Amino acid sequence: MAANTILQQGRFTSTGANTALSIRSDVDWMRIYNITQAAASQTTAIGVEYYWQRGFPADAAWEYKKAGSGVQGANLTTYNTSGGFTLIDTSSNPNGLINATVTALSNAAIPVVSNSGTNALSAGDIVRMFNVASASQVGGVDFTVGYNTLTAGTFSLDYMDTVVTGTTGSWMKVNYDPIFYPRRRTATKISKAVQAVVTLSVKHGYKVGQLVRMVVPAVYGMIQMDGLQATIVAVDTTTTSGNTITLDVDSSAFTTFAFPLSADSPFTMAEVVPMGEDTASALSAGVSTLTDATVNTAYIGMNLAAGVNSPAGASDDVIYWVAGTSFNVSNS
Amino acid sequence: MFNYTGKLKNSQDPQRLSGLEIYKTVYLCDSPTLFERLGGRNNKTPRQKWSVGYTPKVTESRQTEDQLTRDMLASTASFINCVSGINGDSPTEITRVDIDEVVQSLLSNNAYTIMDNIRGEDRFGTAPVRNAYFALCSTDLTSSLDSVNGFTQVNQYPAPMNALQSEWGAVGNLRFLISSIGSVTYNASNKTKDVYNVFCVGMEAYACIEQDGYSASFIYRPPIYDGPLALNASVGYKFAEVPRITNDLWVLNLRCTL
Repeated sequence: MAANTILQQGRFTSTGANTALSIRSDVDWMRIYNITQAAASQTTAIGVEYYWQRGFPADAAWEYKKAGSGVQGANLTTYNTSGGFTLIDTSSNPNGLINATVTALSNAAIPVVSNSGTNALSAGDIVRMFNVASASQVGGVDFTVGYNTLTAGTFSLDYMDTVVTGTTGSWMKVNYDPIFYPRRRTATKISKAVQAVVTLSVKHGYKVGQLVRMVVPAVYGMIQMDGLQATIVAVDTTTTSGNTITLDVDSSAFTTFAFPLSADSPFTMAEVVPMGEDTASALSAGVSTLTDATVNTAYIGMNLAAGVNSPAGASDDVIYWVAGTSFNVSNS
Repeated sequence: MFNYTGKLKNSQDPQRLSGLEIYKTVYLCDSPTLFERLGGRNNKTPRQKWSVGYTPKVTESRQTEDQLTRDMLASTASFINCVSGINGDSPTEITRVDIDEVVQSLLSNNAYTIMDNIRGEDRFGTAPVRNAYFALCSTDLTSSLDSVNGFTQVNQYPAPMNALQSEWGAVGNLRFLISSIGSVTYNASNKTKDVYNVFCVGMEAYACIEQDGYSASFIYRPPIYDGPLALNASVGYKFAEVPRITNDLWVLNLRCTL
């Protein structure tokens, strides 16, 4: 490949959040142009162009600023060790740090975790809980968090059943889902109804027509559901209270489903295991008959940090990018 | 497939599929058949010497398939947590009770065993081995497996020479195959420890489907075709296939900690 070859280029509008770009392998350098900020008159110097090349530490960036009218020439080029570029490979599923900062887990209908310090989470993030005293049943389980309650010191386990109050423990942000879709998910609630409604701990991504097998260990109570094959007849993706699937299973007369207690740990979690597709159901619902197809969702690319003076910019900034490769990289 | 004198630099970024490691010498394998399976064209002189600009991680082509299959099973297969151990974690370390539960489930689900039994022989220290399902797991679990009640090491088989190269031993109706790339879910137990995924599979539980018959291709471009100055050769591989569980009842992920 010739030197300085451009691999890919593109444009996006910033949401104000970190942005992950899928870029093919061998990216050796990358430039970012924030045309919104470059076109505007600045009162203080602000980043309009960013550069990265292979060898930079994770999250670093070379930043070029546009000056404010009164600060011509002052610190217009900086090397930043944070808030920049980070190579990503989602197949390696890199997780966040384990934070031993949980101070409480509430017994509210939608449990809320309190943490010391700042959690830096966003609504919809996935968090894995660990070793919560008096509530160890949530240990090792992944949850979508933050749609109902989210502050620097609290986050809700949005689709979790009520638990007995917990105290100290740890949590970790799970950066990426398992790479293959459709994924097995953990069930937190199953209703007793003519058509059972199952709540999943993490946003499920299932579609109407998909076939699933229910795995409900005896510790959950609803043993009649264990091993049943069911078709998804409806999905609810409401972020605050939904994340459910409705099954063609009459659970009215089943034993009540109850999430295990702390004393029940260790146990096997109740699961929804995708297993195929009911083509007729999918067709009648007007969805693709291939939604059960196994798909590798992994990708490699670049994560851009968000914010003023960072490559992913602030909300509504229009950003152009170009990524390329070099014939040889010699970082000694 | 290859005997090569060098390996990927420790400092080399795994994203650089064509990262440079200059003037390493590599040898083609001694098996033209194997090489041809990878799509190799030049199998007339299998012990050919190359001097190339990139250490060809060609063995990775099949390893990549294994990793994708592993990740598919980790993402989608039903699991059972080990709960009968004593390490106080959730899941616990692997025990005979947990293994028996998996075997019971596979038998109840009418999964066929993959390996026939190994008939007992009149030899000291050996024991017959039952017909068995495969359990695919990480090399990190060898000590845990040695401690499982009823574990039979490969060297205690009546005919150990018939064991598979990666086989570590057997417990009941499970024969354990270990790999350095066995599936691990990091920081996933209640006590933040790594959780090991032991995929217990019956016959035809999953498959790799080649799209339009497009199997793995090994691609070698000699220097004369790879650059104007003919300084460097390049090698690589590509394939289009997808791993897929064919019957969800015939594969179970037994999750455990150390």
